Amino acid sequence: MYLIFQRLWQVNWAEQWQYRANMLMYLLYWLVSPIMYLAVWTSIANANGSVNGFTANDFITYYMTLLICDQVTSNIVIHIFGYKIQDGTLSGELVKPIHPMLTNALINNIAFKVLMILGFLPIWVILFFLFKPDFSSVALSGVLLSIPAMILGFFVSYMISAAITALAFWTTRVYSIHEFYFALILLFSGQFVPLPLMPKLVQDIAQYLPFQLFMYYPIQLILGKLSTEQIIQGFVSGVIWLGISTVLFNWVWKNGVKRYSAVGA
Amino acid sequence: MHTLKLLSSFFKVNVQMSLAYRADTVVNILLNLMWLGWELLSLNIIFSNTTTLGGWGFAELIALLGVFRLVNTLMMALIWPNTEKFNQSIRDGSMDYTILQPVNSMFLVTFSRITVWRIWDLILAITLIVVGINMTGDTTTALHILTFILLATTGTIVIYSLWIVLIALTFWFTKFDNNVTILHALLDSGRYPATVYPVWLRVIVTFIVPIAVATTIPLQALRGDLNLGQVAIFFFVGVGSFIIASQVWKAGLKRYSGASS
Repeated sequence: MYLIFQRLWQVNWAEQWQYRANMLMYLLYWLVSPIMYLAVWTSIANANGSVNGFTANDFITYYMTLLICDQVTSNIVIHIFGYKIQDGTLSGELVKPIHPMLTNALINNIAFKVLMILGFLPIWVILFFLFKPDFSSVALSGVLLSIPAMILGFFVSYMISAAITALAFWTTRVYSIHEFYFALILLFSGQFVPLPLMPKLVQDIAQYLPFQLFMYYPIQLILGKLSTEQIIQGFVSGVIWLGISTVLFNWVWKNGVKRYSAVGA
Repeated sequence: MHTLKLLSSFFKVNVQMSLAYRADTVVNILLNLMWLGWELLSLNIIFSNTTTLGGWGFAELIALLGVFRLVNTLMMALIWPNTEKFNQSIRDGSMDYTILQPVNSMFLVTFSRITVWRIWDLILAITLIVVGINMTGDTTTALHILTFILLATTGTIVIYSLWIVLIALTFWFTKFDNNVTILHALLDSGRYPATVYPVWLRVIVTFIVPIAVATTIPLQALRGDLNLGQVAIFFFVGVGSFIIASQVWKAGLKRYSGASS
């Protein structure tokens, strides 16, 4: 099994490396929103002294950390897999004795992620000097704990997206469903603004959804804003959501493959 | 007259093409409404925590959202589909047939594909602008509204010209099919007044990829922040950029030699 993963890594890394110029463009595209929100909220905090207890520096550190967490926990599985179901190229992978979504696509996504992070690190350093955040609240323990938290977040996000992508077995409009899902993330993950600044109703619902595991939870963990109790709560909810999303994905996948009759077959 | 006739027949062809995907149109409009809801909610969240954003009020940001959606529609309904077709035609040489037509090739390349359901977006955008201006109340004079319309048109022309230059570069660098990504990437910055951005970002979105020229600056005219000299400058920048863009296009066409030769 290890050998299989090693080989898949070599292939997928080589494939992603081909598109490094595209990746820079993609990186730029992805950077604009967080920087825009950072600017909007720091300008508000500067004008009013603070917003609901958040100072300008709180916003800067929040969005600077968000850039990292979003890089690690997000996934592109809809783009690397959706078309395979639709145009039938999946057939070739289905006959192989390994799970297409949980090996090949996963490794491809991770290769993409590593390359993105490599390209992103120098940009982050530049942003650091431009915005001069004060990271004094960050402790080593929080940073270390955030690593398993972000990995957990990535797998939850990957499994949910994989389940949505597998809906392509039924409908060609899977990209529209994904767009809707994307809006849910924006609303409940803390991507737009730290969750305490959202309306009360949104905060209450977010408690019961997995989306804050992608951003708000690891960010607060790194910034040292969580109590021990909250940290444990986060990990527990992460494990529960990983279970739920895995079961969900397996169910959708199994039924989908049964329905699948490849194009042209 | 001739141009209008062509434009209307382009439109008819595109309506026919999109009629094959009626259900998609409905889904797209629903998603579009969802994003509008999100945009209004996010403005609501911002203004429940503050009374002004960089000195701008809620009403002005509604109008800005309208102008932003105008530019966004230009991007999604014209720039995106036509660029895709153009890049394809450079790669496979079908650009030959476009040049052979007895019509201005720049016009043909930029208007032959129209994403029809986006007309809906145009209506929404104009509604937002009208509602926003109404909410600002007495502070807006007729002169301000006129300069606003003038500069919004100018800004659109600046974006259009930049687009022409970007795709014309493909004549020199055939493999340049990321040509409009940079425009698309920075588009989102038009949602908020550029005056709240840090200086380096403001310079980028004003001078390098001038999204702000089409969004923030018309709104500044509406607020009466610009004097006559500034309005004149932006107007001439618009005219100038269009002239430069058509020259670049002509020079690029001379470089074109077909795909097979």
